[in-house]
Amino acid sequence: MENEQNNPLKEFAPQLERTTMQGYTWILFLLLVIGVGFYAFLQQVLHGHEVTGMRDNVVWGVYIVNFIFFMGVSYAGALISGTLHLFKTPWRKPVIRMAEFITVISLLIGPCFILLCIGRLDRLPYLVLFGRIQSPITWDVIAISTDIFGCFIFLYLAVLRDLALLRDYELLKLPKWRKKLYKALALGYTGTPEQQQRLNRATDIMAAMVISIAIIVYSVLAWIFSVTLQPGWHSTIFGPYFVIAAVYSGSAVLIICMWVFRKVYHLEAYITKKHFVAVGIIMLVLAAFFGYFTFSDYLTKWYGSEKNDELLIQLLFKKFYWPFIISNYVGVLLPLIVVGLARFRTINNITFTAVVVVVALWLNRYIIVVPTLESPYLPIQDARPEWLNYTATWVEWSLTATGVAVFCLLFTLASKFITIIPVSGVTGEEKKEDVLI
Amino acid sequence: MKRIFAFALLLSLMSVLVLKPAGSYAGEKPDTTATPVESRMQLAYLCGADSVILTATLNLKKEDGTVNLKNAFIEFSASNGESAKSLGKFATDQEGNAICKAPVAGLPADKDGMINYTAKFTGNKKYPAAEASFKAKPARIRLSFSIQDSLRILKVDVTQKNLKGETAPIAKEKILVYIPRIFSLLKIGEITLDDAGSGTLEFPKEIVGDTLGNLTVLAKIEENDNFGNVQGQNVINWGVHKQYYKAEVPSRELWTPIAPLWMIITLIIMLAGVWAHYMYAVYELIMIKRLSKREKPPLF
Repeated sequence: MENEQNNPLKEFAPQLERTTMQGYTWILFLLLVIGVGFYAFLQQVLHGHEVTGMRDNVVWGVYIVNFIFFMGVSYAGALISGTLHLFKTPWRKPVIRMAEFITVISLLIGPCFILLCIGRLDRLPYLVLFGRIQSPITWDVIAISTDIFGCFIFLYLAVLRDLALLRDYELLKLPKWRKKLYKALALGYTGTPEQQQRLNRATDIMAAMVISIAIIVYSVLAWIFSVTLQPGWHSTIFGPYFVIAAVYSGSAVLIICMWVFRKVYHLEAYITKKHFVAVGIIMLVLAAFFGYFTFSDYLTKWYGSEKNDELLIQLLFKKFYWPFIISNYVGVLLPLIVVGLARFRTINNITFTAVVVVVALWLNRYIIVVPTLESPYLPIQDARPEWLNYTATWVEWSLTATGVAVFCLLFTLASKFITIIPVSGVTGEEKKEDVLI
Repeated sequence: MKRIFAFALLLSLMSVLVLKPAGSYAGEKPDTTATPVESRMQLAYLCGADSVILTATLNLKKEDGTVNLKNAFIEFSASNGESAKSLGKFATDQEGNAICKAPVAGLPADKDGMINYTAKFTGNKKYPAAEASFKAKPARIRLSFSIQDSLRILKVDVTQKNLKGETAPIAKEKILVYIPRIFSLLKIGEITLDDAGSGTLEFPKEIVGDTLGNLTVLAKIEENDNFGNVQGQNVINWGVHKQYYKAEVPSRELWTPIAPLWMIITLIIMLAGVWAHYMYAVYELIMIKRLSKREKPPLF
């Protein structure tokens, strides 16, 4: 009984047991957004891609941008959680679970957007039946499916101890089915030395694997663009550039999640300014790398003066001026100022910066995809003028909002199923400071 | 503190605004709303073996330059000053060209055998009318080939119709001989016609033809005051046979039916490495489950 009283789960029990009125309202709102998205999806299925802004010239739009964005966030989660785990970073515990959730949830949403790009979904099996290893699309299918398995295994290994705790904590007021589910998922883990040894070994290996897979998979995604002879895409730097951009956007999403869960579940004692600054500094370093890669990429294109590259850069500085400036100037400079200067390092400032970075990185993907397709090497002949340029329709925006809503919903549900901060390894109040913070 | 932060943000945004350049870019659509000042038409004439080809080019002179007029109907006609014959109406293409091909036989000619060709755009509320004409006498160029003393000889015979409607030679005119290449015409010589309207040229030996050695040979009278542009053509297999060589550069391996070996090996190594680690992690989970059945010490 004494053990039950000292169980760290006691403090997190309300998060798992109860959902407040605000919580239900939030979930209802998300379901409404998803409902609108479902209607938009039906419109697209019934009428085809005509209801989108994608045409013969610009064949990719915000769907592919969302795909790149969510996949990037996912790989960032894997890289951050894997690195924090592998290097046993002292402050990792309050943020590592969120990074793991970001990885898996984004990985479930991202590929859905690539499916929305496909006009003939009935031909999807051909990708497997007649897939050619030489095709970057085949590389991506193999890479993403491999990554999904790896990330699920890593998440499962990471939550196994907490699942055992939830199974054994008798004071937890939960429905029987959930207790049974915890029992089944805990695999009979009781924390014997041999079980701990095996779990640690498997987790360490998978942490190393998710880091390497995240780098490879996001490079493969970059190669889909860079192996094609298109102005702005045919770049050797695209692989590492995409990886850096992914981790950068993922660190910003992590900060936003930290801020939200800190407020909603009153975790001020666990997620402190120290954690925001630590992740903020990761974001700052990545901002510098991202700025360097961006500058390097555009500088070589501009100095080379290849005709179509010049046209593309002109397009970026004219028609796509604001997206270009926000993604490549504001998105780089703001973290350097806010996190770099100690006087600005408040929790709210860092979170605001993270929001700007998320918007900037989404726009970064947009200006990688759309302007290039609007300025091809071989312009389309005798097409309607309105087909030459791209403007997203309400259907695309609705499904984009749905992607974000599904992300929020799954995150909310995941946080109701398992504690948002790992609690295993804490046996008493006196150790909380050491283990959690 | 907040004021300093807000000031820094405002400053960075202002600097961004200052950076925005002005001017136009390549993708901008030209302004097409300017009022046209004048419609202009040009008429080109080419006489072939049995027909004439009339090409009318219609464009608009505007304040901001010249623009070709597309989908405008041009009416072609031929006349001798007393009677006229309509050759039909043809729409202009994107370049502003309307092309009319008409048989020479039956076209009204004046007492000198000259035919006056006219192209006319009647105009509308938006675009003013335009007209162009050209006067020429029909002529015909025939090409024949022969080998004399192992020399390859090209002979041209140029004729016109006289007032009685009989065929008569054209004398003393200059004929230019060409062979069409990919981008332009290759001139291979000039012939001055004798009194019988004939002339010869020794045909060069080193000209590359198609895979069978075929060459298309053109003989032309160009911008003549009486005959305008006249063209005759014929085909002869006197060219050097073209041979295609397989380029000694590697083909794009990605287009081959089977992936390159290095790619298959790399993929297998990577996938095997990754999935082996997955299997190991799953094995450890299975072992954790089995261990739980053997012993149950107190948790934590």
